[in-house]
Amino acid sequence: MARRMRARAAAGALAAAVAALWAGGAAAAAAPVIENARMLAPHHVLVQLGQPVADLSPGNFRVTEALAPDVAMEVTEVTVRPDGKLWLTLAQTVSPQNHYRLEIHRPRAVREVKPAAWALLLSVVLSASLINNFVFTRYLGLCVFFGVSKRQDTSIGMGITFTVVMVASAMLSWAIYTYVLSPLDLRFLQVLVFIGIVAFLVQLVDTVLKKLNRLLHQKFGIYLMLITTNCIILAVPLLNASANAGPWEALALAVGSGAGFAIALFLMSCAREKAELARVPKSFEGLPIAFALTGLFALAFMGFAGLNPFR
Amino acid sequence: MSTAAVPRPPAPGAGRLLLNGIFAENPVFRLALSLCPAVAVTTTVMNGLILGVAVLVVQVLSSVSVALVRRSIHPRVRIPVYTIIIAVWVSCIDMVLAAFFPTLYAQVGLYVKLIVAFAIIISRLELFASKQPLVPTFFDGLGMGLGFLFALVVIGAFRELLGGGAIAGHALLPHKPLLFFILPAGGFFSIALLMAFFNLVERRLSGGAARRPGGGGGAHG
Amino acid sequence: MNRPTAAPAPRGEGRPLGEILRIAGSVTLYCALGGAILGATYVATNRYQEVARAASEHRSIAQLLRLGPDASVVEIRQYLDPARDQVVYRAAPRGAETGTELTFALSGQLLGRARAGLRGGEAEEGLKPLGRIFVAMQGDSTAGFVIEGETRGYKNVVRFFVALDAAFDILGVRVIEHEEDPGLGAEIATPWFQGQYFGRTAEGASTLDVTKDPMPEDWRAALLELQRLPPAQWRSRYGGLLERESVQPVYAVTGATISSRALTMGVRSTVNRFRYRWSLVSPLLGEKP
Repeated sequence: MARRMRARAAAGALAAAVAALWAGGAAAAAAPVIENARMLAPHHVLVQLGQPVADLSPGNFRVTEALAPDVAMEVTEVTVRPDGKLWLTLAQTVSPQNHYRLEIHRPRAVREVKPAAWALLLSVVLSASLINNFVFTRYLGLCVFFGVSKRQDTSIGMGITFTVVMVASAMLSWAIYTYVLSPLDLRFLQVLVFIGIVAFLVQLVDTVLKKLNRLLHQKFGIYLMLITTNCIILAVPLLNASANAGPWEALALAVGSGAGFAIALFLMSCAREKAELARVPKSFEGLPIAFALTGLFALAFMGFAGLNPFR
Repeated sequence: MSTAAVPRPPAPGAGRLLLNGIFAENPVFRLALSLCPAVAVTTTVMNGLILGVAVLVVQVLSSVSVALVRRSIHPRVRIPVYTIIIAVWVSCIDMVLAAFFPTLYAQVGLYVKLIVAFAIIISRLELFASKQPLVPTFFDGLGMGLGFLFALVVIGAFRELLGGGAIAGHALLPHKPLLFFILPAGGFFSIALLMAFFNLVERRLSGGAARRPGGGGGAHG
Repeated sequence: MNRPTAAPAPRGEGRPLGEILRIAGSVTLYCALGGAILGATYVATNRYQEVARAASEHRSIAQLLRLGPDASVVEIRQYLDPARDQVVYRAAPRGAETGTELTFALSGQLLGRARAGLRGGEAEEGLKPLGRIFVAMQGDSTAGFVIEGETRGYKNVVRFFVALDAAFDILGVRVIEHEEDPGLGAEIATPWFQGQYFGRTAEGASTLDVTKDPMPEDWRAALLELQRLPPAQWRSRYGGLLERESVQPVYAVTGATISSRALTMGVRSTVNRFRYRWSLVSPLLGEKP
């Protein structure tokens, strides 16, 4: 019993010593002048300081947009809030979604102010899957869409297969575009290369699946062939190329578009299964009513326009 | 479109092929192929016309190219090879448009690049160009291309008139009656209505014994 | 699309390996042929693409500023050097091969001035383009400025020209490139929408905003006339309306607020940045080095 208490005391002392050393070390190391900075619409910057700043005149602060670092935005007022944070007021409007640079002259400090990377990527995924859904808003991939969305199980199968192939081909296309086509000024080959990648990947997945898992291949094999003629599979690499996307943005777009297509397929299949049992005018049977249903979905998806959880 | 100057081939005559492409097997309204551009680009007649002409050119060029080299294409890789041929023609047309018709290109650029994935062209190559000699293939490609052009122009006219009150930029109505038709959702509805109309016409013409339009598009992708 | 079925029997008696090699060989051959054709087309058309683009830009500039045939245009290309934290301006009369190069620190201090060539190489130097400024001179006086700007629209990037007169009042805005939805976002590229920027003063431009309120009918009718009448005549007929509306926010396109806002904010920041940068650069460009 006593031994245990002594052990515990020793451990406590050790922990205290380590904590003291760490705190001392942290204090001895230079804390950044600007601990954190955030843009608040419409005109303000909230700055948390790590070290005291003596000169709080507006002239000591410089705020610029990342796209135009030479054009300073006028700082009209600097106030200190009760919690110690600085509240800068700017003459121009700012948006938390843009990229800015905050500088203090004395003491010298520079801080990039931009939305969190994960927030940016999440907004790309949301945009590609809901707001700018490839089927309902950008009308791509319709050919396959109408063929496969008749039944729920085919829809789910196609959705999964498509997302997997989409991500793989988009990333491969991005890599080849960024590291081969762009530097060598061979951008005019992009269509040929992207389609080649898709054909190659589809064959690869088909062969691998056949070897690995016969059952899965029987289930998903047929969808693979259809993917080659799906407009989306070509549109996503083209969009990434024209926007000069980074690897994470390309991935986010691929995931978002695959998810959006899967969602669209699934929703459509639910509706079409019901439509099979309904009384439809003879001229509308088959595709025309499917188009009308798609139109209704497209209308509904318009409600997502302007969705922005990160305002 | 007369067959007078062409020696009669064993395949269906040129006139029949052309009419087939435009009406009986119209790629959009009957075969339900290549719907993406049919909805996307047809907000105005001019847009539909331009893309329709581009597809017509690619279709004819690809059909002719495949017919010329069909004997040297290995069956197991025929789909990738068709795709390569189409991709080459599409990229060439893309570059030519960008160089000589920049304003046009600004509007239809992305969709021209997507022609590569159009099921209509690949399906035609698979069904016809790889099996038939050069001349009938040319007319089949021409017919299909014209049918597609016709479909795009009709849809474009429908949407531009109802949604924008104009045709080919010339305002016919003082205001926009139903802006809805220019939106993507409206595009889907327009095609639904026009397809149903074509079905109705087909049924009346063939005395009620018409077949349903091609397999929901799945068979042809 | 028809699923490619397995070939009925491999052609010839070849071993599987020979078969695969033959297939791979033929596909590679097609790819190579295709690549060659594309390469040739690219080489043939690339020059025309550049020429076509430059010609259409010059037409836009001449129209926006209503330049006479004897006007001359100086093109200034602005670059950011992120590695050295500098801004570089390269100015030359249109068509000239060499011009003046000015280098500034981000604080606005002049670092260097030289005669420099204009042709390319910016990417290798690590320079990021910030857009171009076109200064038009008619005779001895400045006819106006056209500044190239870029903003993120609803779908993709929107590129536009802003035209200012010598007093920095807006003469016009023209959207050069966009991918917005036809009938909705694409309406920002129409003359009637772009006409809303006409006549705004520089101060008004620096505080531009957008409203969702509907545009008054009389103003809409006046804007539609803006294309057809010469500016002086339009001003005399609609001067009162212009006075009333040029202090109002820009009226957004119904159903396309995001695109309208993007263009308006883009015009606003482009004008602000231009005025600062021009104040740095103009005294130095007038003098011959």
